[in-house]
Amino acid sequence: MVNSKLSAALFASAALVTGNLNAAVTEADVQGSFFPYQDAAPAVEGITPGTVINQSNWQIAADHLDEAMLEAVKEGWTEIKVDETTSFDLHPAYVEATSSGAAKVSLGEGVGNIMGYTAGRPFPQEPSIDDPRAGEKLAWNYQYGYNWGDNANINPFYWKFRNMNSGKVERTLKFGFSFLNFKHRVGTEPIPEYDENPADIFRSIYLHVLEPFDLKNTQLLIYRYKDDAKRDDSWLYLGFQRRVRRLATGQVTDSFLGSDLMIQDFEGYNGRISDMNWRYLGTQDMLLPFYNHNDMQLSDEYEDDDGYRYIDFGGKGGCFPQITWQLRKAYKVEVVPVDESSPISKRIVYMDAQTFTLPRSLIYDKADKLWKTFLIGQAHPDHHLPGNKGTGVSLDDSFMVMDMQSLHCTTGQFRGMAYEVADRETFSVQHIRIKGR
Amino acid sequence: MTGILRGTYDAVYDARDNEFGDSAGHSITLQNSGAWVAGGGGVPPLGGFLPHGGPVTLPFSAVDGSANAPGVGFGLTAATLVPGQKLANPNSGLIVLGEHYTGQAGGVHYGVPVRPCDEDDRGCIDDYMDADEDELAHPEFNDRWDFIRELYVDADLALGNGNLWSFRVGKQQIVWGRTDLFRVLDIINPIDFSRNTIYDEFEDTRIPLWAMQAEYRMGATGIFDDLNASFVWVFDKFRPANLGQGGTPNQALGAGDLFRGLNNCWDNGCTVSNFFPAAVASGLPPNVIGAGDPTLPGFAATSFGPHTIGIRKANLPSWSLANTQLGLKLEGIYKGVGWSVNYLYTRSQLPSLHGGSSGPSIAFDPFSGLPLGTPQDYLIAFDIEFPRINLIGGSLDFYVDPLKTVFRVEAALSEGEEFADTTRTSLFRESKVLRYVIGIDRPTFIRWLNPNRSFLFSAQLFGQHLLDHHEETGVSGARVGMADWEENWIATLLIQGNYMNDRLNPKIIFARDVRAHGNAIAPSLEWLITDNWRLNFGANFKTGYSGGRHRYDDNRDAIATPGLGATADTAFGLPAGTVPVSASTGATRGAFPLGVFRGGIFGAQIEEDEYFVNIQYRF
Repeated sequence: MVNSKLSAALFASAALVTGNLNAAVTEADVQGSFFPYQDAAPAVEGITPGTVINQSNWQIAADHLDEAMLEAVKEGWTEIKVDETTSFDLHPAYVEATSSGAAKVSLGEGVGNIMGYTAGRPFPQEPSIDDPRAGEKLAWNYQYGYNWGDNANINPFYWKFRNMNSGKVERTLKFGFSFLNFKHRVGTEPIPEYDENPADIFRSIYLHVLEPFDLKNTQLLIYRYKDDAKRDDSWLYLGFQRRVRRLATGQVTDSFLGSDLMIQDFEGYNGRISDMNWRYLGTQDMLLPFYNHNDMQLSDEYEDDDGYRYIDFGGKGGCFPQITWQLRKAYKVEVVPVDESSPISKRIVYMDAQTFTLPRSLIYDKADKLWKTFLIGQAHPDHHLPGNKGTGVSLDDSFMVMDMQSLHCTTGQFRGMAYEVADRETFSVQHIRIKGR
Repeated sequence: MTGILRGTYDAVYDARDNEFGDSAGHSITLQNSGAWVAGGGGVPPLGGFLPHGGPVTLPFSAVDGSANAPGVGFGLTAATLVPGQKLANPNSGLIVLGEHYTGQAGGVHYGVPVRPCDEDDRGCIDDYMDADEDELAHPEFNDRWDFIRELYVDADLALGNGNLWSFRVGKQQIVWGRTDLFRVLDIINPIDFSRNTIYDEFEDTRIPLWAMQAEYRMGATGIFDDLNASFVWVFDKFRPANLGQGGTPNQALGAGDLFRGLNNCWDNGCTVSNFFPAAVASGLPPNVIGAGDPTLPGFAATSFGPHTIGIRKANLPSWSLANTQLGLKLEGIYKGVGWSVNYLYTRSQLPSLHGGSSGPSIAFDPFSGLPLGTPQDYLIAFDIEFPRINLIGGSLDFYVDPLKTVFRVEAALSEGEEFADTTRTSLFRESKVLRYVIGIDRPTFIRWLNPNRSFLFSAQLFGQHLLDHHEETGVSGARVGMADWEENWIATLLIQGNYMNDRLNPKIIFARDVRAHGNAIAPSLEWLITDNWRLNFGANFKTGYSGGRHRYDDNRDAIATPGLGATADTAFGLPAGTVPVSASTGATRGAFPLGVFRGGIFGAQIEEDEYFVNIQYRF
């Protein structure tokens, strides 16, 4: 509440000074967008904190679980433990940037064209089913979301390839991931952006493989540019070649290192807005994987020196994170690739209305059959590592990508540190060349 | 600090010791397509074969000018031995040069000792190709301590202006360039071809060197998205590429056998098949029955005494500051295009044979016994050198969205490289060389093979142009000069698929040597059983390569030995001009010694299809 009041005050101040507000955006929009539960949490009959949804009572959640997760429950592959809906307040500076900037933002002609954006959430208004570009606006809210804040590290980051039928773990990969926003920064210096950015990079992702031995030193660097019309650049360093290779787009929409993820799947969607056609399908109260990490069942498999432990996995094939779920307001969006050579026909994503993270995605193959389902567990930063407390970042904390056709999954366990400062030099081609050589 | 240790045991020297180890080799015979008129003896039949050491040796010792006793140790006697020479150069433990390749087929061939150098030191070139069995079976445990595969220290120094110095000092691999399979800019570290020739990853076949790299990283600067300057100083003692020792299973272009046989020729003498025109040989004393009989057809197997023909030694540069290597690279990204400009001051890692007027001196004329003491034009007696090279080059990579294709380009111009040239009195010529690779990568779906995972298609075209290439029409009307193609291209296509979450990876590589008409096809299937266990099996086949494209002027009819010039004509009472003193006429052509290079890497292995199973466990 303190945050929202502060935002309101700042918003009002900005309005007085500029006198140039877009009447379409109100402070109420901003408040509603960032604090949807300040008045009341979603309520569904039969689904309350402590409810366990399983094979015997899945019907109560039929309208509040996505198609794939409902199927998993019906099949008895997993069960959903419901916990209280909690507010994942994003960083006040991000909210403030929204209040002061959203009124200046508009869409240009054509998908991917945004104007007047400086920082914060670009379109805090409630989407309208009658707005043909509502899906696109939601996509921008995700793209310029506060996902991992201005910069973050995930290290280590364990991925496991699992056979769902046998339960066998086929591969275990250990990564380090880093994220850096070059522009539109609000929480950590430099604000609002790095200088010396001639390519006008908006955001970069860097990862390197620590294990296993045959993939060790594999590194990936992705640049996403401010200009959405400019295609992402990606480079891959393969340890056994000791050489940096530029990636073709087709490799971004292909299995990454044999996992069930594509590079395009990272964080729920990792690509340009203009690579997709976005259609808003409606707002629903959905059961989504939001939880407090420290309250969860944690795995004994790994324990860091400081005692940090990772989310445990169970259920069929060990593919399902052992977490609790919350009833949350979500926007359902259909995402269709523009490129006909894409291996997928569409995605159905459920955007969390408060955080604009993508905790649930359903991915369909070219025959429009459900192919993969992607879960990203969101942990509250105040109930995680001490360093994350107060960062106002909804932390990606566990993931599961399940290939529904081949019954195979890839799971992920994070040690994420929002705001951990990543050296800008880390996000350069030369860095991966030097680190890998 | 990072260190990587590696130890290898190559079981072939124990498991197949009758082919590659202590018992390898056999007695050999060399083709005698002409009639040799033996002093007091008969005339061997045309088309016959004579044993190593069997044909009559040249009349005089090139070591001391004394008369040779025919057929006895290539003219050596105990009194004339010099250190390193063997009284006996027995007809055992040998193979015929190229016997697995073309057979003798009327060409120039000789015996190659094939046992490890501790078992048989014939033909072992000091410090270059002289490995004993332990060093062959455990190649890392040598006097260069190669079991320390890499050992280096990294250090960064951040500057106040945001730039960064990065240093790496120690034994390391330094990889330049952007292409696979070919080495245009990636030439700082030499390659160990004795590890499965060209079929292992460079990661495993590069020979790490002691060096220092200093990178000045400027990051995004001015118009560049990224800009870096790099300085490389290789202070290791020079190391040539390991071409594979004579008698070992993995050799690049068969050079190991070629060199070992030639070194044995120099040290201990050798019999060379089909060498002297019978018409000339029949007139040479002391084998004179009558004057040379110009009606005798063909070429006679000929035995040379020591220090007459062959390879004398390899002149490996000693360590000195002047013999170290320097490299500079400026690299960056401009508007999404990755680029580099490279300069390298280095040495050729491949040997250059300096013969004829640049080769070793011949003490005595083996035909007249008269003292010489000077190198002889066109004489096929060589020293191995590793010339200095200046190389300048660059590379690019960029993505073309409409084609969904990544392009990679790499080019280099070198100055100082040397190539065999039969028209030169020194038998070699320096040439500038332009090399380049254009590569494309395109992931492409083949949905009937895998509906959800694309296949990687990666194609490359490698070009090589010898800018100072020289070739001319010899007296015979055939071409003579540089056997290497003036311009040639090798095209490769890699197709790789992935199944079972990339744990089952089929791959096939096609390669085509455009000028040599040689092809290689290498299918393989890799199975990652667990994170620790990996099974890889596959094969490589060589096809094409027909029509005698591997034959080239073999220099047989150039002046082949000293004395066979105008003075020889006089000394032996032969008609003036009987014996040539000029470059090869080009009339004689064969797969050896130079044709094999013209056949290229695939052609040299045309008879060496390979099947392999590789099981790895990683700790």
